[in-house]
Amino acid sequence: MLPASLICCELRGRVALPRFLGEADRPWMRVLVDECDRAAGHPIRELEARLREPVSGAPGDKQRLVAHVLLGGSRSRIDSAVPPREARAVVFSAAAREPVRPRTEIIAACAAEQRIEPTALAAALFADLPGERLAMPPAILDLGDLALRSNLLLAQALLARAFTVHISLEGNTRAVVRHATLRGLLCSVSHGKTGDGAHLEVSGPFALFRRTLLYGRALGSLVPVLAWTRRFRLEAECEVRLRPVTVTLATGDPIFPSTEPRRFDSQVEERFARDFGRAAPAWTIIREPEPLAVGRHLIFPDFAIHPRSDPARRWLLEIVGFWTPEYLAQKLQRLREARIPNLVLCLDEERNVGEGDLPETCKVIRYRRRIDPGAVLAALAEAEFR
Amino acid sequence: MHLRFDHGTIVLSDLPSGIDLTDLPGVMWDPRIGALRAPAMHHPALRDALDLRGVRYTDDLDRTTGLVGAWTEPELRPYQDDALWAWQSSAQRGVVVLPTGSGKTRLAVAAMARVRCPALALVPTRVLLEQWLRELTLAFTGPVGCLGDGQRRIEQVTVSTFESAWRQMDRLGDKFGLVVVDEVHHFGDGVRDEALELCAAPRRLGLTATPPRGPAADRLAELVGPTVLELSVGDLAGRYLAPFQLVTLRLDLDPEERRRWEHSVALYRPALQAFQRDCPGASWADFTRSAFRTEHGRCALAAFRQSREILSFPSAKRAAVTALLARHADSRLLVFTPDNATAYAVAREHLIMPITCDISRPERASALERFRRGELRALVSARVLNEGIDVPEAEVAIVVGGTQGEREHVQRIGRLLRPREGKIAVAYELVMRGTAEVAQSRRRRAGLAPRQSHLL
Repeated sequence: MLPASLICCELRGRVALPRFLGEADRPWMRVLVDECDRAAGHPIRELEARLREPVSGAPGDKQRLVAHVLLGGSRSRIDSAVPPREARAVVFSAAAREPVRPRTEIIAACAAEQRIEPTALAAALFADLPGERLAMPPAILDLGDLALRSNLLLAQALLARAFTVHISLEGNTRAVVRHATLRGLLCSVSHGKTGDGAHLEVSGPFALFRRTLLYGRALGSLVPVLAWTRRFRLEAECEVRLRPVTVTLATGDPIFPSTEPRRFDSQVEERFARDFGRAAPAWTIIREPEPLAVGRHLIFPDFAIHPRSDPARRWLLEIVGFWTPEYLAQKLQRLREARIPNLVLCLDEERNVGEGDLPETCKVIRYRRRIDPGAVLAALAEAEFR
Repeated sequence: MHLRFDHGTIVLSDLPSGIDLTDLPGVMWDPRIGALRAPAMHHPALRDALDLRGVRYTDDLDRTTGLVGAWTEPELRPYQDDALWAWQSSAQRGVVVLPTGSGKTRLAVAAMARVRCPALALVPTRVLLEQWLRELTLAFTGPVGCLGDGQRRIEQVTVSTFESAWRQMDRLGDKFGLVVVDEVHHFGDGVRDEALELCAAPRRLGLTATPPRGPAADRLAELVGPTVLELSVGDLAGRYLAPFQLVTLRLDLDPEERRRWEHSVALYRPALQAFQRDCPGASWADFTRSAFRTEHGRCALAAFRQSREILSFPSAKRAAVTALLARHADSRLLVFTPDNATAYAVAREHLIMPITCDISRPERASALERFRRGELRALVSARVLNEGIDVPEAEVAIVVGGTQGEREHVQRIGRLLRPREGKIAVAYELVMRGTAEVAQSRRRRAGLAPRQSHLL
């Protein structure tokens, strides 16, 4: 996580504007990357000193940020005649045995035992310290990549100082909610203006009592996931330089994205999508259709299915697999409240759910390890016949 | 009504109608989930309050599970026995203040053995994590868990670093009935306090040689309990701790060093004084945050760092260290420096093993073991040796410099005080005349003065 002193942003009243790196910064960033290239084979401390030197045209705060990213991503190696740990064990033990013997004599005697030059032994003593290791050619050479990574760190560092986060987003909402929930955050979801748009209010359980940094990492981890939404706007209430400020991030901000979120929650879902596509080529299967509003909450069905020839005959399909009893009870309660008429609930037989707990309006298919697409189609046919 | 643990908090759901429960300890209405919520540390008080009002409830938090393993209760010295008695009399919540070397870990093991419930020990450093694991494994026959230093093994008896506890207590806070906090003075005024707020353990024992004063002490009393017994080095030296001498060597900067030091001071002092005029009562941290925002401020901070570098290991200190190492050639020595760079300088010049954060944990453990066996005669360290590390063989300390004030000094001197037959510890403090180090030395020595022994 980026230290507070490296956060480069402009404070305007109660607003903090991140100073993202862009095209205009490329010339001086090139100078820093070249320094890394030139420092190969020299101690890391020398590279640190070179990256600290002011570069023409570089704003100080941005330069410090990029230097941090470059050093964080730098690779290094140890160059010594004997392993440093071994050198320390030999030399310091010898010094303890003869406390009054001059330093040079002790090193010379130990070096003779090791059959190396005294200067090589002296150099080996601390060759593994972080500053003494030898720099290797930089891992990040592409300036665009370097800028995006630096910007992501900056955005995450700001969010790490957030207490509450509001997000309006379209597309991939479920992935964001899933990510937030998995990180122990509370996520209140409500409908947005467009079909699959949603508003999220994200905070940690303990944030009710105090402005806490406890959830900083979890909140910061949302940023790269947001890059996979069609459109988002995030507002975070943060503390920066001891001042309460609002930080806004939105689609188009130059931030490095995470790897694409998993398309399926489980293997059961993935297998069902594949099996159903093969078994029912006349049907369309849609992964994560738009959410349904139920009171203050949203429900995210796993699939929507309909015959290709008749999209009006649309069914929603929800798979209830491995979850905690508490989560299952809450989910079933919401589904009961929703009274969705065209819902198919696929229930893992190992989940101990009584008939009374199930929503009255839905079709229930119990499965073990694998959902049979034939059973789903038969249940739909039966329901439509009635 | 139902109480359940939820990520470091207690959620009160299925609320009885017609009864206002928002005045229960720590409770607030959480509109996000439509239920009442309180920090987990209030769990015992919540139960008491509900019992008092006759509210029927069910509670998910059940820590009455028997321990899988048996304790061997250690023998205690009279003052340790007093401390345990005082803690138990204080509803098993409180802080025990004992000097370094007087056996605080032993007291904690006795408390765990006496209480016999799932217990979590919190320690500030990875080195102490290992030390506690060793001690607990000797005293408890069951598995001992470890959280920190790359390990994540939760058992009924577990040791965790403060940092890991802060990060993970929202998932662990309902698993223990007793929490022991070593070096508890780190709590009371920082974000790490939240680790204790997220924990539902009703029994709490804090251990320290250097208790905080003022508002931090009040906060600590809220988190862990009141101070139940306090003894200082002066109270136990000679009987239960090794007697010691503290020698301050006042040294002079050479003319060139003096000129450079005065130049640096002249650069940063006006900026600091101007800040203090504008923001009376602001801390040093506030000054550095403020200074970092401007070019002028950054220059002031650079000058301050330079002045510190000059004082950290000037020629007179180099000469003094050489002389003292020669004078105590037959003794086991610890050299304390203000920073790692000075530690490595001492290590290079005098071929002394450094114990720093850059040296790997196995190598540090091996070096400490070799020091105990006498295969190494000296160790040099900036911070790692400050707290908790057991080096009973050390007889002489050379304090080249420090940055953390009275608390650090007491902890460092404490390394020498583990008793041994015929041992008289000596600590040398190197202070540069006519610099800020003189006042620093005066302040840090205050922490070693004897206090009235008392049960509180």
